[in-house]
Amino acid sequence: MLKKYISIMRGAALAALMLLCGASLPAQTTASGVINGSLNNTTGISIQFDSDPAGVTLGAAGTNAATANFGTVSAFGPLAAGVTRPSVTAANFTVRTIFDVQVIQGGLNSTTYTLTANLAAAAPTGMSYKVDAITLTTALQTIQVNGAYGTDIAHNLDLVILTAAPGAGGPAVNTPITTTINFTATAN
Amino acid sequence: MKKVLLLTIFAALMMISSAAVAQTTASGTLTVTATVTGSINLVFNSDASGLALSSGAGTNAATLAFGNVSAFGAISAGIVRSTTATNFTVSSAVDVLVTKTNSASANYTLKAQLGSADAVNTWTVGGVAVTNAAQSTLTATGTYAANSNFPVAITVPFTTASGTLISNTINYVATAN
Repeated sequence: MLKKYISIMRGAALAALMLLCGASLPAQTTASGVINGSLNNTTGISIQFDSDPAGVTLGAAGTNAATANFGTVSAFGPLAAGVTRPSVTAANFTVRTIFDVQVIQGGLNSTTYTLTANLAAAAPTGMSYKVDAITLTTALQTIQVNGAYGTDIAHNLDLVILTAAPGAGGPAVNTPITTTINFTATAN
Repeated sequence: MKKVLLLTIFAALMMISSAAVAQTTASGTLTVTATVTGSINLVFNSDASGLALSSGAGTNAATLAFGNVSAFGAISAGIVRSTTATNFTVSSAVDVLVTKTNSASANYTLKAQLGSADAVNTWTVGGVAVTNAAQSTLTATGTYAANSNFPVAITVPFTTASGTLISNTINYVATAN
């Protein structure tokens, strides 16, 4: 009786094995899987400076650390391409270039941003700096309160230079004068 | 256990708060460079005692029109005339204004030269004869930022036919000393 039972079980096991083999054959032509992916969608904004067609060509354009070189400037002499001289008075003259700021945001409900700027250090003797007619100091100044994201926005950069001679209140001459302007864009 | 839970929640809130601030601002720097050089500028102005400049007063390209002139006939106000046995001279005061910027220069030298030759008439500026052959020095110690009168004079021979147009260009050059 036991032998018969064992024999039946062996047969059943063999049949089950053959069924499994048969079932596995079609499964070899398809495969499926599941990947459980995850990410943290962090919100944020970025700022970059771009050359404006009407201004000087920026160094490191497209980054957040660009340079703008006015070249040689004077009250009456020739100016570099992209530099204009909107005014000359007895006391000072102004040279201007135009640069673009582009701010991009992701994941925010904000539709506009506020742009502020300040000088990294006090302006050199005889020089003052304006962005969109706002005179910059080392304290933050608001340049724009409703900047649109994702597009180049042109800004005037003015250098107001005293006409006095060096040592008499005017700037140093025949030597590059460099100043850094810090910009901050804040999502509204 | 309760304190640990509270601290954990507090720390989490702090992290969320700081992250939110950092995420909504972006900063950049624009480094600006310029090299200032000294410069001077020259303009012509009408002198109160002379003819008014016909055009270009306050610029460096002006026009002085004497109009009709003769040795003995009527003459316009602002023109000074002198006559000799063979010619007559008409003169008008003209102001030259030279300004300087970003310069320690104490004064300037002013020179003038005719644009084209004139074999018939004689031209003087500030009492100095000017031709097209070379620059003539009008002053070597010009004062900045002050109108300086350098009269323009033309001496015309009596042999010149009536109705003759006399025209020339005088090129001025101011150089900082």
